[in-house]
Formats: sequence, C-alpha cells, structure tokens
Amino acid sequence: MSDVIRREEFGEVAVLHITTNSVDAISAAAIEATATATAMRPITVLDFSNVAFINSAGISALLKFVVTSRKAGHKLFAMNVTAHHQKIFKMVEMSRFMPTIEERDLATYR
Amino acid sequence: MERVLVNIPSNPVFERVVRATTDEVGRAIDLTQEQIEDLKLAVSEAVNNAIEHGNKLASQKLVEVTFVLDSEQLEVRIRDEGAGIDEIDFSRRVVEEQNLEDGMHRGFGMYLIRALVDFCEVTSSQGGTTLTLRLYRKRQDHE
Repeated sequence: MSDVIRREEFGEVAVLHITTNSVDAISAAAIEATATATAMRPITVLDFSNVAFINSAGISALLKFVVTSRKAGHKLFAMNVTAHHQKIFKMVEMSRFMPTIEERDLATYR
Repeated sequence: MERVLVNIPSNPVFERVVRATTDEVGRAIDLTQEQIEDLKLAVSEAVNNAIEHGNKLASQKLVEVTFVLDSEQLEVRIRDEGAGIDEIDFSRRVVEEQNLEDGMHRGFGMYLIRALVDFCEVTSSQGGTTLTLRLYRKRQDHE
C-alpha cells in the first residue's frame, strides 16, 4: 500500500507491517498518509519488527493511526516493539492508546 | 579529552547522519545499548529542533554537533544559527484525549531529552542556540 507500510488482512484484522527501519521526520509523512480508515479493520495491528528507531516526529505520525482507529471505533495494537520503544511509548503514554500484543495472540483470528 | 565534530545543513535527512555518528561514538566508549538508544533519541530530538525551530529549515544554515568525550562523561553540544529563543519548555508532555481531539500531536521532544540524559542545558543568544547534553559514563558501572 506504500513504500513504508505493507498491509496484511485476515478476517477482522489488518496488520500493518512498518517496513522502514526509522520512524522519524523523513518517513513520517508517508506513514501518516497510510493512516486511513480504509487501511484499518476492527482490529488493527502495527508491526514494528523492522523498526530500529522512533523519535517524536515518528510518534506524531503514529498518533494518526490512534486518531483514525478511535474515530472508526476500531481497536489498535502494536506488536514486536523493542524494550526501548516500549519504554518510550510508556513515557509519553502512547501505550494507553496503542497497547502491545503478542504475535501469537493473532493466531486465533487467522 | 577527545572531540568529534559533525556539521550538517538544515535538512532533516541529515539528522540521520548525526544519529549514526551518535551510535558509533557510543559504541566507541562502551556505553550500554540502552544508553546508546537513549542518547540517539535525545540527540535526534535536539538536532531536529535545531533544524526546524532554530534554523527554520534554511539549508544554508548549519547545525554543529560536537561530541566531547572524557573519562567521566560524554557531552554533546548541538548548536544552531538561528535568532535565539527566550526559553525552552522541558515539561512532561504525554498523549492525552484532548490532544488527540484537537489534532495536537507534537511537542514530546524536549520532555524526552530531559528524561533520557543525565544533564541538559540551553544557552541562547541572537547568534544561535546551543543545547548541551551529558551522559555520565559511571552509570554503566552500576548496571
């Protein structure tokens, strides 16, 4: 769907795999552009397995997914988040709006 | 004392150059991986501020980043060529319901800097602003 997000869908779930390793000021616009209602499903998961770096510009871009999912009444989760990024998400309380799940939790939906 | 100096134009893409340098400097002085990740984020935020708010994205203006290493600490100075600032707000900023509804999705940078390094200080004049960050190397002795 874009050069920074690869979308996978099954049932009620959309998994958005972030393919850039740096969620920053450079990739923010492309990430934000994918945060549309049509890209999401009732359960939307952002996959951070390829992400090595996130800064506040990147967090701002990710918040667009929070806003869009809330407006649509969808649930938004994050998976494969490094310990460092989990710490940062907690510091800015992003984790309240995008809790972390394990990949195995998605198995029941496949 | 050793110094590493990096000058970049005020184009956000070059913030990645500073970040890569921060990573290499951190490894060279045996910081822990967690310290390196914290420092990369703090430096990234400071450089982006210098590019965007200090130099107003004027690519002919430089952001100068100086790493000063000694046995006690790593100091990073980020200097822009902007018009200076009155003050910087380091207060805690988090994602809140109201922010989301208002579309206010920015402003976490200075809070993150203050939280992730051991010391930070701002000096500013009409010739530019310098943000000094310090990470004390002794921290890793206690881990």
